[in-house]
Amino acid sequence: MDHKRAPLNRFLWVLGTIVVVLYALVPVAWLVSLSLKPADELSNGKFLPRSPTLDNYTGAKGVFNDPQFPSALRNSVGIALIATVLAVTLAMFAAYAIVRLDFPGKQFVLGGALAIAMFPPVSIIGPLFNMWRSLRLFDTWPGLIIPYMTFTLPLAIWTLSAFFREIPWDLDKAARVDGATPFQAFRRIIAPLAAPGVFTSAILVFIFAWNDFLFATSLTSTNRARTVPAAIAFFTGSSQFDFPAGQIAAGSVVVTIPIILMVLVFQRRIVAGLTSGAVKG
Amino acid sequence: MTTTAPPQAASDLARRPRARDAGTRAHISDRARAERRLGWMLCAPAVAVMLLVTAYPIVYAIWLSLQKYDLRFPADRRFIGLRNYGAVLSNSIFWQDLYATLVITVLSVAVELLLGFALAYVMHRAIFGRGLVRASLLVPYGIITVVAAFAWRFAFDPTTGFVNGLLNTDTSWFTKPWSAFTVIITTEVWKTTPFMSLLLLAGFTLVPDDLVRAARVDGATGWKRLTKVIIPLMKPAILVALLFRTLDAFRIFDSVYVQTRGAQNTETMSILGYNTLISRLNLGLGSAVSVIIFGLVILIAFLFVKGFGADLSQQRGER
Amino acid sequence: MYEASRRRPRPRLLPAGVIGVMAVVASACGGGGGNQSGTVTIKWYSYKEPGGSYDDAAARCSKASNGKYRIQLQVLPNDADQQREQLVRRLAARDSDIDLMSMDVIWTPEFAQAGWIAPWDPSAARAVTEGRLKPAVKTATWKGRLYAAPFTSNTQLFWYRKSLTPTPPATWEEALGAARRLAATGKPHLFQEQGQRYEGLVVWFTSLVASAGTSVLNEDGTKVVLERTATEKALRVMKEVSTSVAAPPALATAREDDGRLAWEAGSSAFMINYTFVWPSANGNAPAIAKDMGWARYPGIEGAGPSRVTIGGFNIGVGAYGKNKDLAFEAARCLTSEQNQLDAAIKGGLLPTTETLYDDPKLTQATQDVPNAATGKTQKVRSFPYADVLKATLKDAVLRPQTPFYNDVSLAIARTIHPTAGIDPVKDVDRLRSAITKALKGEGLE
Repeated sequence: MDHKRAPLNRFLWVLGTIVVVLYALVPVAWLVSLSLKPADELSNGKFLPRSPTLDNYTGAKGVFNDPQFPSALRNSVGIALIATVLAVTLAMFAAYAIVRLDFPGKQFVLGGALAIAMFPPVSIIGPLFNMWRSLRLFDTWPGLIIPYMTFTLPLAIWTLSAFFREIPWDLDKAARVDGATPFQAFRRIIAPLAAPGVFTSAILVFIFAWNDFLFATSLTSTNRARTVPAAIAFFTGSSQFDFPAGQIAAGSVVVTIPIILMVLVFQRRIVAGLTSGAVKG
Repeated sequence: MTTTAPPQAASDLARRPRARDAGTRAHISDRARAERRLGWMLCAPAVAVMLLVTAYPIVYAIWLSLQKYDLRFPADRRFIGLRNYGAVLSNSIFWQDLYATLVITVLSVAVELLLGFALAYVMHRAIFGRGLVRASLLVPYGIITVVAAFAWRFAFDPTTGFVNGLLNTDTSWFTKPWSAFTVIITTEVWKTTPFMSLLLLAGFTLVPDDLVRAARVDGATGWKRLTKVIIPLMKPAILVALLFRTLDAFRIFDSVYVQTRGAQNTETMSILGYNTLISRLNLGLGSAVSVIIFGLVILIAFLFVKGFGADLSQQRGER
Repeated sequence: MYEASRRRPRPRLLPAGVIGVMAVVASACGGGGGNQSGTVTIKWYSYKEPGGSYDDAAARCSKASNGKYRIQLQVLPNDADQQREQLVRRLAARDSDIDLMSMDVIWTPEFAQAGWIAPWDPSAARAVTEGRLKPAVKTATWKGRLYAAPFTSNTQLFWYRKSLTPTPPATWEEALGAARRLAATGKPHLFQEQGQRYEGLVVWFTSLVASAGTSVLNEDGTKVVLERTATEKALRVMKEVSTSVAAPPALATAREDDGRLAWEAGSSAFMINYTFVWPSANGNAPAIAKDMGWARYPGIEGAGPSRVTIGGFNIGVGAYGKNKDLAFEAARCLTSEQNQLDAAIKGGLLPTTETLYDDPKLTQATQDVPNAATGKTQKVRSFPYADVLKATLKDAVLRPQTPFYNDVSLAIARTIHPTAGIDPVKDVDRLRSAITKALKGEGLE
C-alpha cells in the first residue's frame, strides 16, 4: 500500500532510521572516543579526541595493566558462562516437561517462574550475604553463579517453552511408539530440534549474568570473584583524589565490544527470543 | 536487569490451561503415571533452585527483620518484634526514597512507552534498513547498565562531557535534584526503551493488516486508525510491557549507584536497602527495608493484574 | 551469625582444617631446610600509593625479616568509603586472608568493637606510639587500648593567592569579606571547599564545629553534644560561604580534586585542601603556584584559632589472620620512621612521627615535577609548609569516635547537604535527632 507514496515519505523513513541508529550508537561512540583521549584532553568537552592514544588500554595505567581489571574479565566470562550452562540445562528439563508431559503442578512451576521474574533482588541480598558467610560462598564463583542461575531460570524456562511448542509433535510420538522411553525421545529427537531455542535462551541468560551489578558488588570483594561491572565501578585511579575517567571508559569499551558483536551476529535470534512468545504463545 | 522479564509470560500463562490435555486421557495407566513422575523429576531441579534461592531467603529476611542484628555488634542480637519496621516507616528518608523511586519509575516508563511505541512502529513499517534498526536497538539492550550509566555520567559531566557544549549551557547536572533525575531517567530510558519497543513490535504483529486497510478505506485518518484500531488490538502487549518495565524500573539500582550514589535526593529503595544491609551490615534494619520493598513489588503486580487482568483475557478471546 | 553456623553443618570446615594442618606441617618441615619455604606470606590490604612507597616498604620489611615473612600488597580501591565497604564485608565473613590493613583513622572504633582487628599488647603498643603525634595515636585507640599502629597523617591547609591577599585572612568571615572586595573589582574571588555529600563534607563540618568551640559527640562517643550557639555559628559560616559570591558554581558536588582543578584554572582566591595541590599546581599551573601561599585553616570570628580535622591511615592487624604475631611485627616495621619518611617523600603522605616535621630530610626534600605544558621537569620543595602542618596537627581534632561512625557521618552529610540550603537554627535540631538515631543503629542515612 505504501509503494505509491512520494519520495518525501521515503526520505522521512531514511531520516527515522538514521535517528534510531544515532540514538543507539552515540553513547557507545562517546565511550570509545573518551577512552582514546590522552589525559590532558579529558576535560576539553569535545566529542572526539584530537590526538587519539591507546594509553588507557595498554599504557602503564591502562586497564590491561590494572591490578583488578584482567582478573575481573576472567571472572565475568567464567561466571557468566557457567551460570548460563546451568540455567539453560535446568530450564531445558523443566520446559520439556511443561510442554510435553501431563502432570499436576505445571501451573505452579510456570507461575513460580513468573513470580521470580518480578522478584526484587535487593530483597534477598542481606540473607544471601549472611548465608554465604556461613557457607563460605562469599567472594567465590559459586556465590555468584547460584543467584544468576536462579534469576535467569524464569526467562530460560519461558523462552524454551515457547520454542519447544514449535517442535513437531509427531516425531516425538513416533519415537515413543517405536519403543523409546520419554527420556530417549527427549535426547535423540527433541534435543537437536530444540538447539536453536536453547541457543537463544543461552544468549539472553548470558547477557543477564554479564550485566549484573547488585549481586556482584554485594557478594564479592576481591579479584577472586569480582566481575567486570563491579570492577569498573570501583576502578582505582592513580591517586587517592583522582578520578580515572579514561580508564573507566577503556574498561567499558572492552566489555561492550563482545556484547555488540554478539547482538550483531545473533540479532534475529535475540529478537525472536524476546518477542516470539508474546505473539505465538 | 531488563533481561529477566520473560515478555511472553503473562499472555502465555493465561493461555496455558488449554495447552494440552485431550488425547490419551482415557487410560490412566502406568505410562501416565510414569509421565507424571518424569514431569516432576524434570522440573524438580529448577523448582528446587528457585525455591532455595528466593523463597527461603525471603522467609529468612522476614525472620531477620524482627531482630536487632548488626554484624558490627554481633553480641547484641535479640528479637525485637516490629521495631525495625517502626524505625523504617517513621523515618522521612524512607518516604523520600520511595518518592524518588516512584518519580524515576513513572517518568521513565511513560517516556519509554511513547518512545518505544514510535520505535516499534518504525521497525514494523520500515521498508528498508529494518535489520540495521533492529541491530542498533539491541546495543543499548545488551550493554552493561553500569557502563551505560558511566557513559551518560561522563557525557553530562561539566568538565569531561560534551552535552553542555551541545546545549550551550554550563549546568552542573549532578548538583540539583531535577537535573540529576534528568540524567538518571535519560540513562534508564536509553537503556530500556529498546526492550520495550521489541515487546511492542510483537504487539504490532497482532494487528491484522486488512483491518487497518479497511479502516483506511472507510476514511479513518491516521490518528483515528491508531487510536481506534491499532492501540486497542495491541493492548495486551502494551500491558505486559508496562507491567514488566514498571517492576523493573522500581528496583533501579545500578545507574543511581554509579551516577549519584543517591545524592540530591535521588536515592532509591534499592540503594537504601543496599546501604543498610551491605555498607552498614545492619541486617535487622536492612531486612525490614527488604521486606517492605518485596511487599511493594507484590502490591504493584497485584494492582496491575487487578486493574488490567480483564483486558488480557478479553483480548485472548478475540484472537 | 553464631546461630546460623550452629544450625547448619559447616561443609568446608574439615578441608580447611586439613589444609591448616598441612600448612603447619609444611612450614615446620621447611623451617630447617632454608628460609625460602618457611616464609609466611603476610597480606596487606591497602590502597596503592602511586609513588610506590608502600611497595617499597613492603619489600624492605620483608627483607629485614630475614625470611620470616613476605608482605604482599593487596590493592583496594582509592576511595576510602569503598575500601571500608570491601574490608568490612570480608571481615564480617571472618576472612582469614586479611593479615594487615590500612585503616582510615575513622574506622578504629567500629572495627575494634566488632572484634575485627586485634588489640596491641602494651609493650608493642608503646613501641609504635612513642614520639607519634598525640591526635594520631588517639585515632588508633579505642576504650583505652591501641588497635592499630599510626602510620600516615593528613590535614588541610588554607591556600591563598599572595597577589590577591598579601596577608592571608585568619577567619572565615575575613576571607568572605576579602572575596567580596575582590569580586567587586573583577578579580578572582572563588573559595574552593568540599561540598559534595560525602566524607569530605563531614571533615569540613567537624573542623568548623570544633573551631567554634563545641564537638559532635561527648568524650566516650555515646551522646550528641553540638552545643547550640557554637553549632549555629559553624552552620552559619557554611551557609554563607555556599551562598556568597565566593561559592564555586558546582560546590554541591565538589570534592578535593574538583577544588584543585578549579584552583589551577585561576578563578579562585582561596581554597581549603590537602597538600597534594602543591606539586600538582607546580606542574599544571606554574604561574599560579608561584603566587600560592599557605596558612593555618581559618578560624571562626571570636572563637580563637581553628581546630582542624586529622586524617590519615593506621595499620591494623586482622583478628582472623593465621599469623598474627608476624603481622604485628610487620605492622611495626611498616610504620617505622624510615617508611614514614619514604611515604612522605615519594607519596606526599604526612608522617605521624612528630620529629620528622623538623627533620631536614623532610623539610628540605624536593621532588621533580614535570611541567604539563613544556614537559620539562623542575625541582620543587615537597614540604615548604611543614611547620604549619605540625602546628595544625598537634592540636588537631578527631572526627566522632564511635563504632557507629559510618552512620553518624552519613547522617551529618545528609542533613547539611547541600550546604547552600542550610538553615542554621533548624539544622541544629535536625542534626541532633539524626545523629541520635544513628547512635542507636536505627538511622537509614
